[in-house]
Amino acid sequence: MENKGANIYDTVLENICIDLNRPLLNIPTSYKEKVEEIRIRNGSFLTIYSGGKDYFVTKEGKLSTKLEEGIKIEKSHINKTFQLISNYSVYAFEEEIKNGFITIKGGHRVGIGGKVIYGNNGIETIRNISSLNIRIAREKIGVSNHIIKYLIDTPFTIHNTLIISPPQCGKTTLLRDIVRNLSDGIYLDNGKGFKIGVVDERSEIAGVYNGIPQNDIGIRTDVLDGCLKSDGIMMLIRSMSPEIIVVDEIGGKRDAEAIQEALKAGIKLIATVHGSTLDEIMSRSSMKELLNEKIFKRYIFLDRSKGVGTIKEIIDVGKSTPIYLS
Amino acid sequence: MALIKIVSSIIIICSCTFLGFLYGKKYSDRVNHLIYLEQCIKMLETEIVYGATPLPEALYNVYLKGNKKISFIFEYIREDLISNKRGEVLDSFISIKDVLATKLQLKDEDIENFISLGRVLGSSDRQDQQKNFVIILNQMRELTREAKIEKDKNEKMFRNLGVLTGLAIVIILI
Repeated sequence: MENKGANIYDTVLENICIDLNRPLLNIPTSYKEKVEEIRIRNGSFLTIYSGGKDYFVTKEGKLSTKLEEGIKIEKSHINKTFQLISNYSVYAFEEEIKNGFITIKGGHRVGIGGKVIYGNNGIETIRNISSLNIRIAREKIGVSNHIIKYLIDTPFTIHNTLIISPPQCGKTTLLRDIVRNLSDGIYLDNGKGFKIGVVDERSEIAGVYNGIPQNDIGIRTDVLDGCLKSDGIMMLIRSMSPEIIVVDEIGGKRDAEAIQEALKAGIKLIATVHGSTLDEIMSRSSMKELLNEKIFKRYIFLDRSKGVGTIKEIIDVGKSTPIYLS
Repeated sequence: MALIKIVSSIIIICSCTFLGFLYGKKYSDRVNHLIYLEQCIKMLETEIVYGATPLPEALYNVYLKGNKKISFIFEYIREDLISNKRGEVLDSFISIKDVLATKLQLKDEDIENFISLGRVLGSSDRQDQQKNFVIILNQMRELTREAKIEKDKNEKMFRNLGVLTGLAIVIILI
């Protein structure tokens, strides 16, 4: 499992220009397993985020906290890396670039910073790229196995579920594994999975690359990649006959409206939202409505108290005490 | 004795004619290679502008669909892109410069024009790519036109020259 982490890191490096690739390849394996982000900023220093801390990478591949030892990034590094990331095909990623990121093989996301060019129809492209942020996606299969039973209503339905968590606490990782579990159906009593439709607005859940989901999202899952949540929910209802719709990071008014629509169609919903307490979420007007109507029957709270992805508690809306505590 | 003279005269005339034709063929080969190259670039344009196919795949498709006398260079470029990971398309184009010069009947200006495609390929959006394709294809057409004029002028001349040189040598020797 641990070596797998280092392997994932090594594959990501294939997308980085040769001058930066070698030092990054030589960093200690114990750090490779935990690298969350590789930062390449024009005129700044090559930085990696590993285990919640940032380090500068030296020419020899050592990690340092001293600025002067790090490798200075030049424009050519960024240009070459960008060419490799886009597979020498910037034209094939026009839409992704407009959204500010490209998903690469393995489901990893590369954020792009630079000069944003506006046209008649909004953002046209990003020129003079000045920074790249390579976020390494780490799929954790099996993290939801022990909680699936709390989400099942009857053998044929689930409860509408909301995952509540601050950023970087493993919200999407958990959501992805729940999707896999419910879709495959291995941990369900009847052994049959659900038809699931995923609206993957930011290509984080399935990590689709070239039309193929790079993460395991189960055998009965359909994905609308890069689609706005509000549009995607409606499209799935009309065309894919899902039993469950899954969306990440809801919040907008239009999202709430689309969710209402899905519920009227008898479809169950699993969603995530940023926040750490119910009160915090209630303070947002669009969310307040959804919560007041008691649409969601289960709330899963995450935090980092025992490391990334700790499931703090699961609450049944009808009960005063949590049905699961970590 | 007379028989030997006749046979050797025929050999001389034939070999000189052959040399003349061979020299003349260079001109028609250049025209053909430029035409095939233009066709391949047009295929690449379709792959990129209308299909938004990623470059390595687009190059491979051109290799499969194009005339093999030329399209093999696109496979060379693709292999270089994938294996060397230089991060610059232009470098991969430059890496096959020798192949272009030795295996094909192309002049320096033809090669330069083709390599200039490597400067822009894949580095911008589709609209921009199309503009660059139009420029390069226009230049290509101009080069083909020039090559055709040269061919019309020289090919016949070298062929005739071959035959005539053969005859001249025979006359002098007799």
